[in-house]
Amino acid sequence: MPIWLEASIRSVSILIGLFIITRILGKKQLAKLSFFEYVVGITVGDIAAAISVDLGINLREGIPSLLIWSLFPVGISYISLRNKKFRDFVEGNSTVFIKNGKILENNLKREKYTIDELMEQLRKKDVFRVADVEFAVLEPNGDLNVLLKREKQPLAVGDVFPNPPAEKEPQTVIMDGRILDEPLATAGLNRGWLKMELDKQGVAVENVFLAQVDSYGQLTVDLYDDKIQVPQPQAKKLLLAALKKVQADFELFALETEATEAKQMYERNAKKISDMLAKIEPLLKN
Amino acid sequence: MTVASQVKQSLASLKSIHAGLQQIALSSTDDYAQRTFHEAVMVTEEIIADLKKRIGQLEREEPQYQGK
Repeated sequence: MPIWLEASIRSVSILIGLFIITRILGKKQLAKLSFFEYVVGITVGDIAAAISVDLGINLREGIPSLLIWSLFPVGISYISLRNKKFRDFVEGNSTVFIKNGKILENNLKREKYTIDELMEQLRKKDVFRVADVEFAVLEPNGDLNVLLKREKQPLAVGDVFPNPPAEKEPQTVIMDGRILDEPLATAGLNRGWLKMELDKQGVAVENVFLAQVDSYGQLTVDLYDDKIQVPQPQAKKLLLAALKKVQADFELFALETEATEAKQMYERNAKKISDMLAKIEPLLKN
Repeated sequence: MTVASQVKQSLASLKSIHAGLQQIALSSTDDYAQRTFHEAVMVTEEIIADLKKRIGQLEREEPQYQGK
């Protein structure tokens, strides 16, 4: 067999093998690479390169070595899934650097962290005053995570509105002019509904590049032709405006009428609508 | 515009609101939103009933407004 042919066959088969191995290792490795996994990854790549190019290496020697290097981490992660002690040993523990707003100098020393490095890490998290920190912990992968004191934490929607309306994830129902049935079913809708909504906006399915439906059944579309202006969904705003108008009408009728019974009826119903408005306004207002 | 026709207009808007609320209640996926919209639908139904009664009274008192 000519040398080039042997090298190609080796390369292709090892490439396929490596592809399968990386699929087995999964995506956790990518997001959170421990030092051990990092070294293992480099070594596996190096062995694979050596086997495919260096024809002096016998495949019977190379492949077991490759398998051991790549499957050992799989075994370790398998055991550490089940055993907390083993996991702590393999992945390391987190170290608390700041507790109750006080820096723990001994823990800094143990992790060989200088106060400058700690402050640098804090600044990366947009914290410039150590006094603002309630709790900070160094994770096993080297990240510093910070919990700010309550009064320094950024404002969340829940702080302003006690019960903000829930917003579920939007579903993408049209992609590249093709209707996706599965997300449509997840949103509890069907093709008939989609056709109707598209007709309302005056666009054909084939012209739609992307269409998403939010948790209130509002459809937003992006067309291939960017010159066409697509109206924003108005149904909720119109409904809110109509409700407010009827409420105002009722108050007007209550003032105008002279029959006491009718006056009471109008006032009662105006009150009912304003109570209802208070409840559903947050839901209609976005 | 006569009083009767104004009230009738309000009734028409209420009916449209009723339908709109029902539609949004059906197409919402969140439980809380669904419940709130359904409650609102019930409230509009009560108000529509009240308003229909009032229109009946108006038409009886002033027959010249009937059907307008």
